[in-house]
Amino acid sequence: MYALEIDNISKRFGNFYAVQNLSLKIPQGTIYGLLGPNGAGKTTTLRMIMNIIIPDEGKIRVLGRTMGEDMKQRIGYLPEDRGLYPKMKVGDILEFLGEIKGVPKNAMPGKIDYWLDKFELTGWKTKKVDELSKGMQQKIQFIVTIIHDPELIILDEPFAGLDPVNTKLIKDIMLGLKDQGKTIIFSTHRMEQVEMICDNICLINKARMVLEGNLAGIKKQYGKNTILLEYEGDIGFLRNRPEVEKIDDYGRSAEIRLKDKADAQGVLAGLVGKVRIGKFEIQEPSLNTIFIEKVGRNEQ
Amino acid sequence: MNKIFAVIKREYFQIVKTKGFIISTVLAPVIMIAFIAVPVLLSVKSTGEKKTIAVVDMTGQVFQEFDRTLAEYKMKDESRRYTVQEFRPTAEISGLRSLLSQKVLVNEFSAYIFIPDSILSGGEAEFVSQHVSDFDEIKRLSESLNRVVVGLRLKKEGLDPQRVSDYMKHVGLKTIKVTPQGEKEDVGGTFAMAYVLVLLIYMTLIFYGSIILRGVIEEKSNRVVEVVLSSLKPFELMMGKILGIGAVGLTQYAVWALIGLVMSQYGMSMVTSLVPAASGIKFAIPPYIFFYFVVFFILGYFLYGTLYAAVASTVNNEKEAQQMLMPITMFLVLPILLMTMVIKDPSGSTSVILSLIPFFAPIIMFMRICVLMPPAWQVALSIGLLGLTVVAMVWLAAKIYRIGILMYGKKPSLPEIVKWIKYS
Repeated sequence: MYALEIDNISKRFGNFYAVQNLSLKIPQGTIYGLLGPNGAGKTTTLRMIMNIIIPDEGKIRVLGRTMGEDMKQRIGYLPEDRGLYPKMKVGDILEFLGEIKGVPKNAMPGKIDYWLDKFELTGWKTKKVDELSKGMQQKIQFIVTIIHDPELIILDEPFAGLDPVNTKLIKDIMLGLKDQGKTIIFSTHRMEQVEMICDNICLINKARMVLEGNLAGIKKQYGKNTILLEYEGDIGFLRNRPEVEKIDDYGRSAEIRLKDKADAQGVLAGLVGKVRIGKFEIQEPSLNTIFIEKVGRNEQ
Repeated sequence: MNKIFAVIKREYFQIVKTKGFIISTVLAPVIMIAFIAVPVLLSVKSTGEKKTIAVVDMTGQVFQEFDRTLAEYKMKDESRRYTVQEFRPTAEISGLRSLLSQKVLVNEFSAYIFIPDSILSGGEAEFVSQHVSDFDEIKRLSESLNRVVVGLRLKKEGLDPQRVSDYMKHVGLKTIKVTPQGEKEDVGGTFAMAYVLVLLIYMTLIFYGSIILRGVIEEKSNRVVEVVLSSLKPFELMMGKILGIGAVGLTQYAVWALIGLVMSQYGMSMVTSLVPAASGIKFAIPPYIFFYFVVFFILGYFLYGTLYAAVASTVNNEKEAQQMLMPITMFLVLPILLMTMVIKDPSGSTSVILSLIPFFAPIIMFMRICVLMPPAWQVALSIGLLGLTVVAMVWLAAKIYRIGILMYGKKPSLPEIVKWIKYS
């Protein structure tokens, strides 16, 4: 069974297509990454799943049923534009947002304490939101999203504005939720996070889907045609070598794409003696490279 | 339904728990009562000091009577408030006057009064003092002197001052309001109360409207909206907010009514014991006026509340909102400007038409009901039209709100908003 089925949805604002003919199927119990550059249509897609924006065409089925208001209780949604009532106390705001999600009143205190403890926020319950740091507010937002124990969790840019410690905390909780059988969809444009935790991905650019499927499968398609290099020195001369298709040079490391059927050994031989090599690995291309290539090709 | 209730509860307690609300709800009537009570109490327990006044009476006929008249003003211990000391005119009158001026300057006398010869044939007396701004005192002295001098003038003509004063007594015109229940003397209390109630409707519509406005803008600018919308419909959020804030308004009214009731029970008896004249004033509001007050407040509140909510959803901050609120405020201010006209001619055609226009009805129709009960069909039509407009406004506002609430950045133009309404 699929946690989410999107069938050919489109949304237009005036003459501008925000989302065009998008279809997706997301299996239950997986983490799904919705990728794309800014303005690609990720947020509009997520808002349509949440019934906040109604699609012009197409159908959305959530947890096996047509999406409607009554389904909102089974979904947890962390919007991209998120905030809290600044003058409310943390405990009160969790209670209010839990109540409109249909959490029974007597179950509320236990849940609030459990999650505040898990996010190391015990003791902040009676503080007003505007006394909290930005990171703490983000964590409260995350608690709000999952406090009603939803089966499907939709996170729009969940890591935006988080420091590495909190990023790891949220990532671990996401993986924990997956282990409980929850389905998680999240949007981002930070590829390294996707590579770490996603099972499946979908890449959207300019309202259209350009790539979809299992992350491992996609990478396999591209094959092991990429060299990950760590070095000291200058590798500018590599651009003239016949095997090399493209170089992404980061100064101390580089990703070198080879031409079809080219042999990496020639490149290695060329490097020896010219620069100090820290690491030389033949790999599938990183998602970052695939992303840039796909989006870039789309631009032309 | 539970969700709307949760929103209502949040909105309600968020305002009711604030210090500002408690202070304004409890303190406002206290301040108002103080405004009424303090001058009353002050005028009763006047704390004037004893004064000695020198008098130069050129006629030789006024002083004695003036002295007797001023003896009526007493201090608490029944001693005289004003002591007058006569100075017989000397040959050199200007020398006497400058001597008295000196005495006034060194506070031997608080003032001296100069009564010229011509006073019996229309001349003026003079009051010379270091400070001449205690109008109450000057009025007291002037009245006393006036009584004495006019009496003397009448006597000179052979008339009895007492009888003349009886003949000259001011003729009153009692106002009696006739209603189907019969005639009833109207001492102005009902009308004054109605006037206060009309202004109260006007003020609370603007006040609670702007609370709705601020609330919606706050939710939008803090980006709370979408978090909440993941649980409920925009319509539920909007209505919850309007109902919750409306409940705050009714709470405030209830507290005020309670204080008013207590005051009319105990306060009035206290006031009348001090000022017997005040017993004529009645602060009773006829029950039907109170009924229409609640009806027109609720309908007016929904009409303007939804308008404020719709406007707030389209803007990013209060500054932007002010501009769009201009026409709404005009709708509310206009009836207040037309108030005197409607009161003078409550059943004239202009008043009738204005009271049927839904945007004016909450104030104008209620005003008419207070002044002179209009025909039942007019009241029913006015409420009916207002009710329909409220339904239409809720529908329209919900459409604008639904889209506006998620739009950030540029403020939409009117044609764009019209497009939203068609679109959604």
